[in-house]
Amino acid sequence: MSNEFNIKNIAKLASINLSEEEQDSLSNDLSIILEHVNALSDLKLNSQQKEIFIHPLEKELELQEDEVVEFLTHDEAISNAPESKGGKFVVPPSME
Amino acid sequence: MDASNLSIREINSLFTKKELKPSELYLKVFENAANSEAALHAHLTLFEEENIKKAAESDKRFNNGESDSLLDGIPIAIKDNINIKNYKTTCSSKMLSNYTSPYDATVIEKLKEQNTLFTGKTNLDEFAMGSSTENSAFGLTKNPWNIDYVPGGSSGGSAASVGARSSIAALGSDTGGSIRQPASFCGLVGFKPTYGTVSRFGLVAFASSLDQIGPITKTVDDSRIIFASISGEDSRDATSVINNQLDIPSDNTATIGVIKELMEDGISDEAKNEVNKVVEILKSKGYKVKEISIPIIKLSISIYYLIAPAECSANLARFDGVRYGLRVDGNTSYEMMENTRAEGFGAEVKRRILLGTYALSAGYYDEYYGKALQARKEMIDEFAKTFRDVDYLISPTTPTQAFKSGEKTSNPLEMYMSDLCTIPANLAGLPAISIPTGLSKDALPLGVQVMSKPLSDNSLLDFSEIIENEVQFDGQPKGWL
Repeated sequence: MSNEFNIKNIAKLASINLSEEEQDSLSNDLSIILEHVNALSDLKLNSQQKEIFIHPLEKELELQEDEVVEFLTHDEAISNAPESKGGKFVVPPSME
Repeated sequence: MDASNLSIREINSLFTKKELKPSELYLKVFENAANSEAALHAHLTLFEEENIKKAAESDKRFNNGESDSLLDGIPIAIKDNINIKNYKTTCSSKMLSNYTSPYDATVIEKLKEQNTLFTGKTNLDEFAMGSSTENSAFGLTKNPWNIDYVPGGSSGGSAASVGARSSIAALGSDTGGSIRQPASFCGLVGFKPTYGTVSRFGLVAFASSLDQIGPITKTVDDSRIIFASISGEDSRDATSVINNQLDIPSDNTATIGVIKELMEDGISDEAKNEVNKVVEILKSKGYKVKEISIPIIKLSISIYYLIAPAECSANLARFDGVRYGLRVDGNTSYEMMENTRAEGFGAEVKRRILLGTYALSAGYYDEYYGKALQARKEMIDEFAKTFRDVDYLISPTTPTQAFKSGEKTSNPLEMYMSDLCTIPANLAGLPAISIPTGLSKDALPLGVQVMSKPLSDNSLLDFSEIIENEVQFDGQPKGWL
């Protein structure tokens, strides 16, 4: 397994603005953790072709019927918005 | 006898016989909270006014002989990552410090139907990521047995609350041990049910294939009562399962396996001694006990710290400063999002989001996340094979007693290691419980963990109650009542 990573690139992908200091300390932490998880690369699996389930009880996930159910009102859904206007979320421009 | 020390069934009996009123019990636990909160900081919020009213309604029901629920008038504390309508759910994060939930979690709806009282919301490691409740944006919680030590985490506030008798029981959530480890550190019972038996709807998601809500209580029977009340299939949680319980023997016809890999290096002698003590008791009662080896357990931390951060990086993408939570301005939407997440998340949350983002990124997905999923499947298969030979698996809950505040904060990997014994049950979806069994030489509690096959929760509780009755641990932290 590879431990080469570019912290600035990962932070960009994760949409987190990191200070220089945070970049250094988190790089260091991630290197230590990745070194530990590399133990997995030595694991010889019984079968390489195992079907992978996300549910630990291997329940197959089913899609729900596409039907309208009563839950939150529009006002409730928007009640925690940092900024809203006319029942809509307000955000800064997406392009400069 | 102080009523706050009693079990749920004992309290209900006194309520029914009109020897104790729900309002008297509530005032007692509120007084306990008032006595301990400044030192322990178990709660982020305490609900007082509404409980006085609700307790009076419980009084009336019992007085008229109209109550039909064991949880009527029982004060229960709720971890602050579970939504209660019209109350704050902060997840101990600056990101959600002003978030008020517009809906109830399914477990809360179910407890409301039982007329349970909610004493308040308890402190946790931010977004349930941690093992000591030191990662909270709103301050540390202390261990009620000794305030120099951590209460464990991430449900440390829930454990400290029950430990100090500021509530009769509490709900926590367990993704890698976050119910069982703090229960063990605080001398309590902590039960993580089979994955999917308790709805996660309304629990703020951390790692969805691992998260599970469960109780922290003084006794196994209290956990049984709460599990019975909060479990059940829920169409609002796609991973919810039908709670068809398997019946496996809990008497001495059962076979017990001691997990070799959790009795080796890295586990303190004191923790091993507790397991050995329980094993000797079980043998003397006629149980067959044998050593079991599950070598892949040694890779639990590696598997977990790829899967959990990968899921967390996806789940926490929703905190973008648009729909709820903190917003920090920026010139564009993207800048706003980056600034909001920089300011809103603490160090451990950032660490796990970045780790998960890396594990899922192009070129590394198969190497990290894909491999971890395959290893997890292998572990599930190994457990299934093991449960053909044994009915219950026993191990320490934690490698050591509680550690001191600040002892592990500078070394994340060392902190992660404290979940070595509890993580396998989350990876395999198994029911698992921590039972308090004794005290260390520092007079801090130690616990033993028992696991069983998926959907055998009720049998696991029955078997655990036998251990509880035999061990007779009656320790309790002093100075809070």
